[in-house]
Amino acid sequence: MAKTYDYLFKLLLIGDSAVGKTCILFRFSEDAFNSTFISTIGIDFKIRTIELDGKKIKLQIWDTAGQERFRTITTAYYRGAMGIMLVYDITNEKSFDNIRTWIRNIEEHASKDVEKMMLGNKCDLTDRRQVSKDRGEQLAIEHGIKFMETSAKASINVEEAFFTLARDIKSKMDRKIDSSGQVSGKQGGGHQLKNENSQKKTFWKSCTLL
Amino acid sequence: MEKLDTRIKGHDHEIERMCNYHYQGFIDSIRELQQVSGDATKLKGEIQGLNRELKFSCDPLLSKGDELVKYRKIQKNVTLAIESLSLCLPVLEMYGKLQEQMKCKRYYPALKTLEQLEHTYLPRVLNHWFSQTMAEAIPRLRERIKDASMVELKDFLESIRKHSAKIGEVAMRHAAEQNNMDPSIAKKRVKTRRVPPPPNPFTGEVEDVAPSPPTNNSDKEEELSAQDLIDFSPVYRCLHIYSLLGDKEKFESYYRSQRWKQAWLSLQPPPNMHESLDLFKKYFHDIIGFFVVEDHILHTTQGLVTRSHMDELWEKTVEKLSATLRITWEKQMETFQEKKTNNNQVAENNNLEEMEIEEKSCKLASLMLEVKKLIVLFCHTLKGYGFSVGRLLELLLEMRDRYSVILSDQWIDVFTDIFTEDNYTPILCDKPEDYVIICSQFPYTDKELDKSEYPRQFPFSQFVPSIYVQVKEYINACLKFSADLHLSHTEIDDMIRKSANQLLTKTLGACLSKLIKKPSLSLLQLIQISINMNYLEMSCEYLEEYISSLTGAEKDSVHIARLHGSSMFKDARSEAEQQIYQQLNLKIDEFLDLASYDWTISDSKGQASSYLMDLVVFLKSIFMSFTNLPEKVAKTACMSACQHIASRLMALMLDNEVKLLSIGAFHQFNLDVMQCEQFAASAPIPDSNDGTLQMAFTDLRQLLDLFINWDWSVYLADYGKQQSRYLRVPRHIAVSLLEKLNNGDKKKNNLFASLKKNERDKKRLIETVLKQLKVLENGAA
Repeated sequence: MAKTYDYLFKLLLIGDSAVGKTCILFRFSEDAFNSTFISTIGIDFKIRTIELDGKKIKLQIWDTAGQERFRTITTAYYRGAMGIMLVYDITNEKSFDNIRTWIRNIEEHASKDVEKMMLGNKCDLTDRRQVSKDRGEQLAIEHGIKFMETSAKASINVEEAFFTLARDIKSKMDRKIDSSGQVSGKQGGGHQLKNENSQKKTFWKSCTLL
Repeated sequence: MEKLDTRIKGHDHEIERMCNYHYQGFIDSIRELQQVSGDATKLKGEIQGLNRELKFSCDPLLSKGDELVKYRKIQKNVTLAIESLSLCLPVLEMYGKLQEQMKCKRYYPALKTLEQLEHTYLPRVLNHWFSQTMAEAIPRLRERIKDASMVELKDFLESIRKHSAKIGEVAMRHAAEQNNMDPSIAKKRVKTRRVPPPPNPFTGEVEDVAPSPPTNNSDKEEELSAQDLIDFSPVYRCLHIYSLLGDKEKFESYYRSQRWKQAWLSLQPPPNMHESLDLFKKYFHDIIGFFVVEDHILHTTQGLVTRSHMDELWEKTVEKLSATLRITWEKQMETFQEKKTNNNQVAENNNLEEMEIEEKSCKLASLMLEVKKLIVLFCHTLKGYGFSVGRLLELLLEMRDRYSVILSDQWIDVFTDIFTEDNYTPILCDKPEDYVIICSQFPYTDKELDKSEYPRQFPFSQFVPSIYVQVKEYINACLKFSADLHLSHTEIDDMIRKSANQLLTKTLGACLSKLIKKPSLSLLQLIQISINMNYLEMSCEYLEEYISSLTGAEKDSVHIARLHGSSMFKDARSEAEQQIYQQLNLKIDEFLDLASYDWTISDSKGQASSYLMDLVVFLKSIFMSFTNLPEKVAKTACMSACQHIASRLMALMLDNEVKLLSIGAFHQFNLDVMQCEQFAASAPIPDSNDGTLQMAFTDLRQLLDLFINWDWSVYLADYGKQQSRYLRVPRHIAVSLLEKLNNGDKKKNNLFASLKKNERDKKRLIETVLKQLKVLENGAA
């Protein structure tokens, strides 16, 4: 089979209902914006291929429903995620407060080495702002994660956020490869596709078995 | 001789004697003579004195006499002069009067005077030189009068042209009042005829409500009729003058041609009439004004305008009017369409311009409605003046079709807006107020829902009541147009149903179809749309009832055209369902694009591929989440998803790019297919565990079983038989996969050159099977 990509990263968007997760994803995948609020049911995903350091990276981004009633369905997706975007709404204090709950959720359900990032969405609505940028920064530093304010509507920082997260995942993976000298083919989690080299290796391995 | 001498002596002697004898007497005589001479002288003196005296006294007498004669003469002359002057004076007076009348532009009396002058007075003074001049001047004067009255007529024509719009407006208003057509006017009436307030019950006083003077004024203005607005006298005068002068026919034809020219001018629409109601109004008012004036002329003159002439004019007018209106609609539609297409071409996502267009179309529809009102009123007004308006009413029917086209266009935007605004989630009512609102908007009754606790949830999303309300709005808008057209109930009913059908099947149908095909639509939205369609379909019969209630036509009357809405909604629903399956398949495709099989893997990884596990989990959560998905749709969706996965997996395996295969790969693939089978067996949809879903993977299962169990003897033995375990493994697929497997082995073997015994046996078996399969092929052929 012809490989159309070098890496596949699974990312997950979580956060309270109506903070704009679907819109961020829509902006990133289609570069468009839809102002009607249509709450996500269960789970959905979009795929976009980006290029980092000359490598084609497929991002399969899972968009979860923020509503409580879908929590069981959505938490099932934490495990496989290599990167998680925590999204809150800067015009909604509650959604910011709940970030701590979401982080606890990640600690409980996601794999330990998952890359996290926090996004304060709707930063174009300055006159309705309830959460200052500094408070966002503060919380991010507390948890040792990166932070950005975004606007899916005004197309601010959306692209940057996903690229940052993807780059972090990639460098973590590269570090791992360097240290182990081999690709971790861990199932369920992220996997790098075998390049020509590793394929040969497995091939040799199987041959010796025979 | 002696005798003679003797005789002489005798005579001498006698003479002597005689002389002697008479001497005394002589002396006496002399003396006396002397005396007389003295006396004579004395007398002469006396006489001279007397004469002198006489002369002296006669001189004054004579001069007096002369004077007398002179005065006598003068007296005679004076009498003569008086006589002739008394003859001339009336003539001159008349003439003066004439001049005066001319100056005051009272041409008709002037003409009368002229007549009198010419026939009665002038002949009496024929011998005067001035009468000659006058007589000569008379024809010139006549011409002047004619010209002057013509100038006046022209002024009149000009002014009437200016006023005819106003006249038309007033006439129209009167007609509207009579027909109670214009609500704004009716309102005014009510206002002015306000009932006086009842007397104060305690004091018995009646509060004074002074009628406000401005209202009165405006009332007065309203009461004005054509006659009050326009001074028709120039026409009458001119007519009289011309008929007096015997030029009546000339005048008639002049008047008629001028008026027709004016009418023709009025009938030329202003170039941008299709853009403004005011221009339309002015246009119609002008035309009405023309006919009102003509009507007045018809009734107040004899023969200047005849009924038949009027009818002829009317005929021409109607023709021109129809043509003009048609062209105007044409223009309207053109500009409208142009703008619309331009807009579509230029910028699809330019909301501002879209809004403008929307506004335009809305404006256009309301303009058409207003114009229609105008035309109806126009017809009423002119009908009142005895013209036949049948053809114009026909024109209105034509216009109605255009109107519904524009309306439909307008409703495209309305529907599109509804679709963009909806959140595609079932309506949730927290409060009884909200619940009541939805129930009032949309005919939906669910007894259980009526009893349930708040928040109550409807099965459909907001767009269902919105669409229903808007369809009703459209019906109302159509009805507005048919008002005052004097159509029968059934005609209106037919028309409304026709339009409603048009709206439902064409406009709404197209909008829905466009909506459903939108690639950005999520599964959730599609599912809600398909659910919504059910409720809209059910609402069709209420729409029918609604129409009947509006038009008053019998519900069960035979010629009622049925609404085709339900079938349209059915179509839309099936389209939405198709799109659901399609969307699911697209999602599945995205997963399968992530698939990366190592077809030469020597051993399976011991667990299914991660992409496939993701896919299965995703599908499970989808069917778990969409609890509102109708069971039939869910089942079909699940089936179609399984089939799609199966065919994609099969395609992966049979991919021509894959040249080599290993048994390990078969095992890995088997693990993945098993995941799918498990999913199919897990009843992702409740009550669907009848084994049908697993059937989607039967082809794959048989193929994998054949290769994993290495069951070639059975395959070959039962080939072509109905009860064969591998009935669904076509020979050519078996051949192709077997060859790939063989190639894979070959490559490996060549590389290692370690031909173990069982490897050799296996290789031989493969070749035998391949041979057998080829035999089968020949046998089949």
